Amino acid sequence: MKAVKILERVLTTIPIMFGVAIIVFFFMRLTPGDPVDIMMGRGGAVTEREIELLREQFNLDKPLQVQLWYFLRDAVQGNLGYSYVRNKPVLDLLTERLPATIELTLGALLVSLIVALPIGILSAVRQNSFLDRSSMAGAFLGISMPGFWLGIILILLFAVRLHWLPAQGRLSYEIQLQEITGLYVLDSILTHNMPALQDSLKHLVLPSITLGAGVAAIIARVLRSSMLEVLRSDYVKLARAKGATEWVVVMKHALRNALIPTVTVVGLQVGVLLGGNMIVETVFGWPGLGRVVVDSIFNRDFPLVQGAVMVYAFTFVLTNLVVDVLYTYLNPKITL
Amino acid sequence: MKGNSMIQLLTRGLLLVVLALTACGPAAAPTSAPPAQPPPAQPTQPPQVVVVTATPAPGRSTLVVALARAPLSIDPADHRSRESETVIRDMYDGLVTRDTTSGVHMELAESTQWLDPKTLEIKLRKGVKFHDGSEMKADDVVFTYNRVIKENAIEYPQAHTSPRKGLISPLVSIDKKDDYTVVMNFSGAWPAAMQMLVHQQIVSKAYVEKNGTKGLIEKPMGTGPFKFVSTKTGFEEVVLERFDDYYGGAPDLQPVGKACVTRAVFRVIPETSTRIAALLAGEVDIISEVPPELVNTLKQVPTVQVKTVAGTRPLWMEMNVKQAPFDDVKVRQALNYAVDKNLIIKKVYNGLAQPLGGPLMPINNFADPNLKPYPYDKDKALALLKEAGWTPGADGVLAKGGQKFTFVIDTLDATRSLAEAIASLYRDIGIDATVRIWEYSVVQPKLLAGERQAYVGDWGDSAFDPIGHMEAKWSTYVKGSTYGRGNFSGYSNKRVDELILAGETENDVAKRHAIYNEAQKLIYDEAPAVFLVLPEAIEAASSRVQNWGPASDSRENLHDVCLK
Repeated sequence: MKAVKILERVLTTIPIMFGVAIIVFFFMRLTPGDPVDIMMGRGGAVTEREIELLREQFNLDKPLQVQLWYFLRDAVQGNLGYSYVRNKPVLDLLTERLPATIELTLGALLVSLIVALPIGILSAVRQNSFLDRSSMAGAFLGISMPGFWLGIILILLFAVRLHWLPAQGRLSYEIQLQEITGLYVLDSILTHNMPALQDSLKHLVLPSITLGAGVAAIIARVLRSSMLEVLRSDYVKLARAKGATEWVVVMKHALRNALIPTVTVVGLQVGVLLGGNMIVETVFGWPGLGRVVVDSIFNRDFPLVQGAVMVYAFTFVLTNLVVDVLYTYLNPKITL
Repeated sequence: MKGNSMIQLLTRGLLLVVLALTACGPAAAPTSAPPAQPPPAQPTQPPQVVVVTATPAPGRSTLVVALARAPLSIDPADHRSRESETVIRDMYDGLVTRDTTSGVHMELAESTQWLDPKTLEIKLRKGVKFHDGSEMKADDVVFTYNRVIKENAIEYPQAHTSPRKGLISPLVSIDKKDDYTVVMNFSGAWPAAMQMLVHQQIVSKAYVEKNGTKGLIEKPMGTGPFKFVSTKTGFEEVVLERFDDYYGGAPDLQPVGKACVTRAVFRVIPETSTRIAALLAGEVDIISEVPPELVNTLKQVPTVQVKTVAGTRPLWMEMNVKQAPFDDVKVRQALNYAVDKNLIIKKVYNGLAQPLGGPLMPINNFADPNLKPYPYDKDKALALLKEAGWTPGADGVLAKGGQKFTFVIDTLDATRSLAEAIASLYRDIGIDATVRIWEYSVVQPKLLAGERQAYVGDWGDSAFDPIGHMEAKWSTYVKGSTYGRGNFSGYSNKRVDELILAGETENDVAKRHAIYNEAQKLIYDEAPAVFLVLPEAIEAASSRVQNWGPASDSRENLHDVCLK
């Protein structure tokens, strides 16, 4: 039953993706700026015929409704069009970069959970203690630190000064790795490639910390406040009265319930991380999706923007679904 | 890239501060006595401290170059970006090549001869090998050029015409005479031919026919000094390996022979501070696009060398000549006199730029050396403005007929500080100038429609020839055409238009000089723009890198580079 419901939810993402893509289709064309003009750059010789041919090639000479029809017709068949500037199918461009973005997102998520869970729990259990105050001050710092600033500081410290970690990239050029999923850490494990595993993990550390810092702060604060609320509830008192140890009270009775709002926030943050890590990708030369999408917006590379937005919409809906499924495990009273 | 550049600006500042703050290592020499006199304050100079030492990975024989942007394609016929050309030209050679200082030289061509003003015969070098071992012959050259000039000749990802066609638009056809001779037929005399052939690289006919364009992009194969090894995620990393059977390159340009390094890697690091950090950490050997304000700091690092070369992107402030107050030539000239270019070069470009003496950059082969940059002369500017009817009002702002002299300078984020410096110089003489930052794709149509007042911007001139440049920038704007494509002042002068057209087909160099000199003088006098500066291109490398230097046209000539 649950599987059918999940499938239903997955299927509903399709109209959402198309809806979003159509909105973006019109918004992009409403913004001033001609893709062909931009393509030709500020310099060099161009002929009239060349400009004409480019418009023809990308159907930019056709009326808007015809362009939309072409886009929808091709998209249904799994063809998201061709990037104007990069002369490559949009789907190829998205799939070659998505793994890098996913890997970074997972790395950041891991960092943020490792940091946020103990801090959130401990500062709730020891409310108003020194630990609580200092970790919440740290959380404020984490939220307010801009990614590019933290990234550069980490690079200067760990790459330039200490030489512990690399400043940029995903893998050193001298390391060979057979790509299977495009997630380098996973690929290294799958192919039993120890040097690649070490190297890709080293490259992942600084960007993950940079991206994860802000998220960790948010998660820690949400977890703390929901823990505080739960710890005051009657069933926790009852658990204590029954003589359960403090560990069991906190970890089993309180945390499980406090995790429900936390999971919601984490789910939303995953969406934000997937879509919004352009700055960290830029600072660390991380070849992810964010940078290409921002470039394509500036280049008015309509098909690429449309394709990327569809991917983002899909991942957002999907993470929400995962969150909903997780609810049912955390609280069996909730159904999908 | 407005948001992006803003971040870059902030991080650059941050880099400077952090480098200075962490300067307490053992490198700091103890001072025995205070200096007799305090040194003069230099508010705009970055902190003069030696901070970090680049530590190259010991024994690394691979040369790593960090670029600011990824190549968009690595098919020699299918791109219109400098980064693409930078990478392509280390794998592919052209018929001719260019050296920043000495002009065009034969590369795969042995000699060229004009049979008549419209026909060019090219003899090919014999025994040149492609990376797959086959010999390069006339068929390959004919195929390469047809792939560029024929419509819809590139089949992947969908049939389309090469975006490089416009660079050699007068080329009508190319024929093979024998295995080592080709003949190019042009639609008319085309004096810029040799300069423009530099930008086309030769591919193998057999290879492209067998593997298609997709195969050529996935595994490029040319006659250049380096063979393609691998690439990652949309050319974010391109690994090359020395081609041991290389014919040696242009015989006029030393060193001749195979490349010095065995492996070369291009890596994309978009963030300036990270590029510099990677150089200091010894992860990369050469970095492109170093901002001028960091040059002094980098020069303090003993294991880093910084080199500059004149760039090819001159900057002007174009004024809308169809609108008051810029419809008056005296006002436009006054605004030229009111800009202290030397001050701007010193403060904005850290001394790394040269003033423009007119519409062409000084390193263009046809720039008129007799045209000197408008000198900085506030009094003359004010006198000219007075003649035009602009006199100081009670608040010090110039006014005419009750109307104050106030205008907006539009620019892009990259040239924000230049525009702000100019605005402050204008405020200095009573003109209320303010700066507005735009995204290029948004402001460009407004400029062409004559809806804006003034625009500070650049226009590339990497061919070193007025063709392509003069027609785009200074001839009358014709909608949908290449003429006036970048003419943001609305300037239109019949005589200048005639001269630009004449220059495009005049083969006699002396006559061509005369034509362009007349055009330049007219534009100089009518001043549709404030002729500003030509910034230098700045690159840095680790001190292990030898025989290296940046090129004006952004080429990274890795063939010559050695590692110590």
